Amino acid sequence: MGETPLVNENPVIKIQGFCKSYKKQAAVKGVDLSVERGEIYGLIGPDGSGKSSLMKAIAGVLSFEQGELEVFGIKVDSESSAERIKGRLGFMPQGLGLNLYGDLSVEENIDFFAQLRQVTPAQLAERKQKLLKITRLDKFRDRPMKNLSGGMKQKLGLVCTLIHGPELVVLDEPTTGVDPVSRGDFWAILAELLREQGVTALVSTAYMDEAARFHRLSLMYDGRILAAGEPEFICRQAQGSLVELSAEPQIQALDQLKNHYAQVEAIGSRLRVFVDDKSPNEASKAVSDLLVGVEVKAIRASEAELEDAFIALLRRRRLADQKTNNHAVPRLDPPLPEGQGIAIEARQLTRDFGQFRAVDRIDFTVRQGEIFGLLGANGAGKTTAIKMLTGIVPPTAGEGQVAGADMRYAGQTIKERIGYMSQAFSLYLDLTVLENIHLYARIYGVSRSIIKQRIAWVIDIAGLADVTGQLTGSLPMGIRQRLALGCALAHQPGVLFLDEPTSGVDPVGRRRFWDILVRLARVEQVAILVTTHYMSEAEHCDHLALMYAGRIIADDSPTNMIRALQQEAGQLLKIATDRPLEALALLKQADFKGAALFGKHIHLLALDIETVKKQIDALLDKQAIRLIDLTVHAPTLEDVFVYRVLALENQELS
Amino acid sequence: MNSSRFLLWWDRVIAMTVKELKQLFRDPVLLAIIVYFFTADVYMAGNGIKLNLHSASVMVIDHDHSAASRELIYRFRPPYFDLKGEISGKKEAENLLNKGQILAVLDIPEHFQRDLLRGKQVAVQLQVDTSNTVLGTLATSYATEITAGFGQDLAMQQLGLSAGQVDSLPVIEDRHRVLYNPNQIDSWFMSISELLTVITILSMMLPAAAAVREKERGTIEQLAVSPLTPLQILLPKVIAMSLVILLGTAVCLFLIIIPVFHLPVKGSIGLFFAVTALYVFATSGIGLFIATVSRSLGQVSMLVILLLMPILLLSGAWTPPEAMPQGLRWAMAISPLYYFIEMGYDILLKGAGIAVLKDSLLGLTLLGLVFFSFGVWRFRRQFG
Repeated sequence: MGETPLVNENPVIKIQGFCKSYKKQAAVKGVDLSVERGEIYGLIGPDGSGKSSLMKAIAGVLSFEQGELEVFGIKVDSESSAERIKGRLGFMPQGLGLNLYGDLSVEENIDFFAQLRQVTPAQLAERKQKLLKITRLDKFRDRPMKNLSGGMKQKLGLVCTLIHGPELVVLDEPTTGVDPVSRGDFWAILAELLREQGVTALVSTAYMDEAARFHRLSLMYDGRILAAGEPEFICRQAQGSLVELSAEPQIQALDQLKNHYAQVEAIGSRLRVFVDDKSPNEASKAVSDLLVGVEVKAIRASEAELEDAFIALLRRRRLADQKTNNHAVPRLDPPLPEGQGIAIEARQLTRDFGQFRAVDRIDFTVRQGEIFGLLGANGAGKTTAIKMLTGIVPPTAGEGQVAGADMRYAGQTIKERIGYMSQAFSLYLDLTVLENIHLYARIYGVSRSIIKQRIAWVIDIAGLADVTGQLTGSLPMGIRQRLALGCALAHQPGVLFLDEPTSGVDPVGRRRFWDILVRLARVEQVAILVTTHYMSEAEHCDHLALMYAGRIIADDSPTNMIRALQQEAGQLLKIATDRPLEALALLKQADFKGAALFGKHIHLLALDIETVKKQIDALLDKQAIRLIDLTVHAPTLEDVFVYRVLALENQELS
Repeated sequence: MNSSRFLLWWDRVIAMTVKELKQLFRDPVLLAIIVYFFTADVYMAGNGIKLNLHSASVMVIDHDHSAASRELIYRFRPPYFDLKGEISGKKEAENLLNKGQILAVLDIPEHFQRDLLRGKQVAVQLQVDTSNTVLGTLATSYATEITAGFGQDLAMQQLGLSAGQVDSLPVIEDRHRVLYNPNQIDSWFMSISELLTVITILSMMLPAAAAVREKERGTIEQLAVSPLTPLQILLPKVIAMSLVILLGTAVCLFLIIIPVFHLPVKGSIGLFFAVTALYVFATSGIGLFIATVSRSLGQVSMLVILLLMPILLLSGAWTPPEAMPQGLRWAMAISPLYYFIEMGYDILLKGAGIAVLKDSLLGLTLLGLVFFSFGVWRFRRQFG
């Protein structure tokens, strides 16, 4: 209380020793947090880390047992005090459009929330006009909410949250399940509103790569805060360096590194190792000295990124599950033939729903042992493409081969030969882990003589040995997803389809999941087709196809995709200034269309770096904005995605 | 090769059936509902609902206060009537009837005895509350019988005959023989009727709930890409739920209806179970159809209630077919419960064998095939 009397503005949110339990399950175990006026504060952590409970309490819709919570300087400790803050804040709960009404149109939804908040007609008209314009929803005023895409639903949700002009917005995972372009839009809108209206935002996310969007953030895990502060500060706390290398043969190098380091993963052709307590140079040397009998092709060391830092912090506190799968149970059947057999082939595959063409003449091939990623916004046609290839939806035109069978005629044969893991978790929660695996083994016709051996193999490869007897409903997300993968593997399919397999899984769980996939592809020669919204995950793939409006607009390896972008649009500039919001507006005016705000930094793609640097210098100088730092980076897959899709969108608009 | 495919086909169905049973037995709410339906519900129906008049409350306005009036009043006695006492006037009688505190008021006029002795015709008035038609009608007819009996006895007395000499009077005596349920015990009819209704509700409800739960939880997606055909997904639900319903029926018959209500089973229990299995299969087709048009368990329940009403009304359980208008009598042919009720009573109470039942059996089989194929066809269109 009052330790900082010199600061004239009190924090918007101030929390001390916050605890919340559901029955006997503790959800939040002692959290301290303070959010200043005008900042975007992030809560990052996996599902079940306590983010939602904390946010609900701040929004005044959840009671709690212990600790002190102050919002706008008002102590929230009763129903009546909660009522006093509710009018001044906006809360958007988790889930795509869950707080909206599906049968009402965009405009009716907004009007409803305005009436609920007693906004005067004049204010409503003005705010609605403005918000619809910046969210680019004004063309869809009359469209029922249920017919909007995921990204549009979230934007509408944001508009409804902002319609009463709150001082504070609390947004619970607004970008989950939203594609990178809509996600970029969402952040841009938030930054814009922040600049214009001085709103404070508390935003939670499960995507580690969104950390850079926040001014400050807290990393949450298991009801506690692991680390808090500016993103760079948290990365430094991990105390170590990241070494990236490519080596042949990869699996051998991976095994050697795993014996020595706790934090190793294979991403596509690269290996990433986190080395504790060493500077980049020392770390790089230590790693190359360790490897014996493998050819190291390229090696590079750098500072840790947030995801690495998160895992390192967990590991230090012994919270992360350090078990790796030992793969002791051999596969009984002979492994699939090594070599370049084609597992999936789509030729001019097309699907119409009435007038609407969901998939438009797509072509691609996936080889045995290859991990193929299908990327695209919600509604780009990924799921329909998968449904055609798995035989659920017949194609309107075109043809395809899956696991050696023609998908037009041999739907049943295909179903017997492939494994499939759907977007939402779709196993039986009231059966145990073992019962689920057993059920799927029998559905897929695993013969009784080998079923025991097969189940043992599944349990081993999916790392489920500790939980076989537990009811599936009691398991955390990460383990459930491994179980779903295990069930899809029960008949040892040669082709595996995974539709957004890791949404909602924490980074540790996600790594372990990809560990299994890499092994399946490299060792067992399984062909894997995966769709994802996580661009960091797309880097695991050997090959990517980017879908837009039913078409494939890019089809290459991740490295080549990034290289192509570098040739076309240049390198990524990260610009730090003392007044980022004004600087952004300035750059946008000066025709740097792609400029986007990431926390206190502005990101920008530029071909001729020297010229652009000079231009920026001059621009900022005029307004007396101080340039703190300007660094050059290679663009990421996220940049590729956003650049390609926006280019097409702009083309269509003009 | 063919036989191994066939075995694999059934192996999948069995695996799914076992799964359904496991899931059901881990759902305490659903289990409690099933147990309640087959035990307490049937017990209450058998015990509580009476089609005989029982303890109908009557009050008397006696303007005569004579031996004859007392004699008449005395005949309104338990178990049929419950004499609540005497009141003084019409106003009070109306009041009590309005409030529903009594069912009937017997009004005996002045000079009742004197007029009777003089051989004059005398009228007594019975005011009956027939807002419940069944009770009202029963009370009226019982009262008529009592007064007629009283009148007859009085007439005989005046002719100097004793009660035993009734034969010498020119009176037609109605001697009916009650078949199949000689003591006209309501609990037999009511408990069996309730059991059949319970079977109807559950055989629609349980498969529909199991199917819609797969939709609600998204597990249907995983099944759709598996080698299971729609029939292999649906059949296990019907098999599992039929087993549960047959078990419940057995519990209900052997623990409630037979020991508690002393139902003498005339026919073959085996045949009854076979017919029940056929009926459950037929009705589950309706359940599967319900599952294809609903998205949640709530919608399933609403639709079950919606469809249950016409099935019950057209079953002949409440109104005999002969009393229905011609159009509805035709419509009864599509209520599976119509056949089931007929066969159920025929087997349990009349001891009928297959020969007697064959028409109903054929009707139910046809209906079952139509319903079931329709349900599977809808499901296939949705997920196939």
